[in-house]
Amino acid sequence: MKSLDMLLLKLFLGGLPLVAVLALVHEHIGFIHGYAGFIFALWMTLSIFISLRLIFSGQFRERVISRITFIRERDEREALLTGKATKTAFLTSLAVLLLLFCLSCFQVSLYRVPPENAIDGKTGFVSLGVDFDLLEKEKHGRTDDTIAKEDIFTYQGLPVTSSAVILLLLVWQVACYNYTMRRLLK
Amino acid sequence: MSKSEPQLTIINRLHVLRAERRLTQEQLAKDIGVTRATIIAIEGGGYNPSLELAFRIARYFNTDINQIFSIEEDKK
Repeated sequence: MKSLDMLLLKLFLGGLPLVAVLALVHEHIGFIHGYAGFIFALWMTLSIFISLRLIFSGQFRERVISRITFIRERDEREALLTGKATKTAFLTSLAVLLLLFCLSCFQVSLYRVPPENAIDGKTGFVSLGVDFDLLEKEKHGRTDDTIAKEDIFTYQGLPVTSSAVILLLLVWQVACYNYTMRRLLK
Repeated sequence: MSKSEPQLTIINRLHVLRAERRLTQEQLAKDIGVTRATIIAIEGGGYNPSLELAFRIARYFNTDINQIFSIEEDKK
C-alpha cells in the first residue's frame, strides 16, 4: 500500500501541470467529451482518493504533509518545538476561524430614507443582523425594500467564496507553523 | 506550581566536559544522535534535555549524571 500510495501521489503531482494546461486551452479542444476530459476525470478521482488516504492513513499523512509543511523532527528538542509551533498554529487558526465565523454571520447596513419616511424625525438608520445557514443558498436582499432608501454602507457576510476561505486557512496554518518554528529555533 | 516553591534552574557542565575531551559540538551531536543546535541550546541553558538524553550524555562521557547536570535554587 505504501508504494501504491507514493505512485498515486506522483501521478497526481505529475498531472497537475497537465490539468492546468487543459484548463487553459479547454475551449479550443472541447475536452469535456474528449480524451482530455477522461484524463481530467481520472485526475479528479485520484485527488479525492489521495485526500481520503491522507485523512485515514497516519503513515502516509506523516510522510506527505510533513514534507509539504517543512516539519522536521531530527531530535527531541525539535520534536518539542514542533509541538509548541503546532499548538500556536492550531490556536491561531481557531482564532481566525472564530473571526471568519463572526464576519460570515454578521450583517450591517447603514442607510438613509427620504424625509417623508422619517421615523421620529430621523432619516439615518443602522440595521444590524445575524444570519446563519447550514447549507449554501442564494443571498436574498432584505424583503422590506418597499421604502425608497439610499444605502450608505451594506455588509452582508464575507464576500469571498468558501474555496478562498479554505485556501486562506491552508496557507495560514503552514505559514503560522513555519513562522513560529523559525522563531523558536533562534 | 505554588508561589512559595523556589524556582529551580538546571545547570550543566557539558561545555567543560566537551572542552576537556576536545570535542566539537558537531562531533558530540553526531555521537549522541542530536543536532548541533540542540547541543548549543543545552550548553547555553536554553534547553533542558530529557532524562533519556541526559543519561545518554552521561554514558557518553562515562560519568555520573550528577557530574554533568545539577540543580541551582533561585532564592528570589
